[in-house]
Amino acid sequence: MIDDEPLVTIRNLRFFRGDRVIFDGVDIDIPRGKVTAIMGPSGTGKTTLLKLIGGQLRPAAGTIQVDGERVDRLGTRDLYRLRMRMGMLFQSGALLTDIPVFENVAYPIREHTGLPESLIRKLVLLKLEAVGLRGARDLMPHELSGGMARRVALARAIALDPMMIMYDEPFTGQDPISMGVLVKLIRALNDASRLTSIVVSHDVREAAQIADYIYIISNGKVIEHGAPDAMMSSSSEWTAQFMNGLADGPVPFHFPAPGLEQDLMGES
Amino acid sequence: MLEQLARLGRIGIGSLEQLGRGHLLLLYMLAGISELFTRPRLLLNQLFSVGVLSVLIVAISGTFVGMVLGLQGYYILSQFGAEQTLGVMVAASLVRELGPVVTALLFAGRAGSALTAEIGLMKATEQLSGLEMMAVNPVKRILTPRFLAGFVAMPLLAAMFSALGVLGGYFVGVGLLGVDDGAFWSQMQTKIDLYDDVLNGVIKSLVFGFVCTWIALFQGYGSAPTSEGVSRATTRTVVHSSFAVLGLDFILTALMFGE
Amino acid sequence: MTQNRTMEILVGAFMAVGFLALFFLSMQVSNLSSSNGGEGYQVLARFDNIGSLKVRSPVTMAGVRIGRVSDIAFDRKTFEAVVTLRIDSGYEQSIPDDTFAKIFTAGLLGEQYIGLDAGGSSTFLTEGGQITLTQSALVLEEIIGQFLFSKAEEGTKIE
Repeated sequence: MIDDEPLVTIRNLRFFRGDRVIFDGVDIDIPRGKVTAIMGPSGTGKTTLLKLIGGQLRPAAGTIQVDGERVDRLGTRDLYRLRMRMGMLFQSGALLTDIPVFENVAYPIREHTGLPESLIRKLVLLKLEAVGLRGARDLMPHELSGGMARRVALARAIALDPMMIMYDEPFTGQDPISMGVLVKLIRALNDASRLTSIVVSHDVREAAQIADYIYIISNGKVIEHGAPDAMMSSSSEWTAQFMNGLADGPVPFHFPAPGLEQDLMGES
Repeated sequence: MLEQLARLGRIGIGSLEQLGRGHLLLLYMLAGISELFTRPRLLLNQLFSVGVLSVLIVAISGTFVGMVLGLQGYYILSQFGAEQTLGVMVAASLVRELGPVVTALLFAGRAGSALTAEIGLMKATEQLSGLEMMAVNPVKRILTPRFLAGFVAMPLLAAMFSALGVLGGYFVGVGLLGVDDGAFWSQMQTKIDLYDDVLNGVIKSLVFGFVCTWIALFQGYGSAPTSEGVSRATTRTVVHSSFAVLGLDFILTALMFGE
Repeated sequence: MTQNRTMEILVGAFMAVGFLALFFLSMQVSNLSSSNGGEGYQVLARFDNIGSLKVRSPVTMAGVRIGRVSDIAFDRKTFEAVVTLRIDSGYEQSIPDDTFAKIFTAGLLGEQYIGLDAGGSSTFLTEGGQITLTQSALVLEEIIGQFLFSKAEEGTKIE
């Protein structure tokens, strides 16, 4: 395996949803063994990007390569084989609501391996231990808090020891404590098992904290990319506004409208 | 005028597209059946939620429909002095029509809507997407067992409906109104044919089970992933299933009983 | 685990009750119990007119149903209806060869059936045997016709 070759290579990606352009010529490289953050304002199709990498959506043009395989060209069987080596953490956790925590984590193992029950039990408990929820194994998903559900989902995502994990907005709607826990977990998992992590987020502080590399996407294009420090002190006005959360800047506070005076005085 | 025409065209194209999607889904579901035999537990769970949980409503409705048939039939038949044929009337209407049709309507309301809501919510909460990313085919793993369970459960439910209906009719006719016990059964046995009536009724309910479950799963799988989308899909399931059942019933009846 | 077990039992009960209901419908409600397919033996009977007799109409003897009409054909040479009666097994050696077959109507408007009146012969019909003594169905229109005719005749006599 060539270590310095990127795990995921995206070239000239185009994707449309109806008439709306989501991606218009995007190039991204995700390095192996690193945490890469993909950031951008809401509605820029960050989740769509993950679905494209996972092969759930097909691009209109361009290529997506994961570990040397063209995701956009794979047949169902090969795609499923590849997905066994990918984990994805959904925003909602996406746990199966009708089975308890233990079974949720055991699900992919049961589906894809013929391991004996005693071994499955050990594996599941180890994965749950890794996210600190071994004690919650008998709870049903609706009994979990949002942060716990995401940690269980994370345990499920790493159940098959994948080569990479995609995190879809892992920090959204979390209280500071569970946010801190997740940040620590993502970093720890990445370093412990040489995983490749892709974090899609618009929480600048947390993302910058764990990421080794950052891509910023807006209006269907990559605006800028680089190491977190470089991004924070970016000379680009746009990047500075986004990274520092300023209300006004190149992205205007006001939705385009006629002048206020004119609007107030004018008759309808 | 042209706008009207264009709208009609859009509706036509839209429904054709829906029909195509529905059939594709059906194909995928059928393709998963062989895999289901290695995991019978999936089917068992669905038979429970689709079948067992529908028994109560089907049993109660069947009994009361049979009792009403007994009552109404008696008043009409006694005017011609033909109370003895009450058994025939009750059994024929139940086995041929009411059993399969009313069960299917109840099924669409009870099990069908539940299936749609379940699948729709699984979609809205990204559970289906999650399965896909775990390299598990959600159609095969989630939809196929439900589909097969509906197909298997419907004839059994319809048989329960008819059997309890006959007993309900017997209770009212013989027990309360004094129709002769022997005449009730013997007339019934003479006139009701195993193939023409009972078997055709079973075939009907198999078709209804197939169609109702298919519609329910299709609506759930195709629902917009929002709470409004799921509620709309659930309504559509009940409406479409009812129309489909009544329409198909006419066609099947014409094919089976028309000479 | 107990939950699983309860579910298994309930599903099992559901299937059992469902099949029981199907069994009830086929045995008790329909005629499976009283029709025994290819068993028994067949005899023929020729009638001038069978009225509205149908295939599957009952064949009775002393009021007891002992078989069914299994086939009705028309003989082009004799202009008669040839009715095949399937007599259930268990009724062998019970139809003397001089038995009289009549077509009756159950009630005024009921369905028609064949009633057999046993004769006194000691030889019995077997497979393919023929009942020679038959009486046709009473066709309501004919009876009314005859009645009117006789009334009319009476009328002319009185005058």
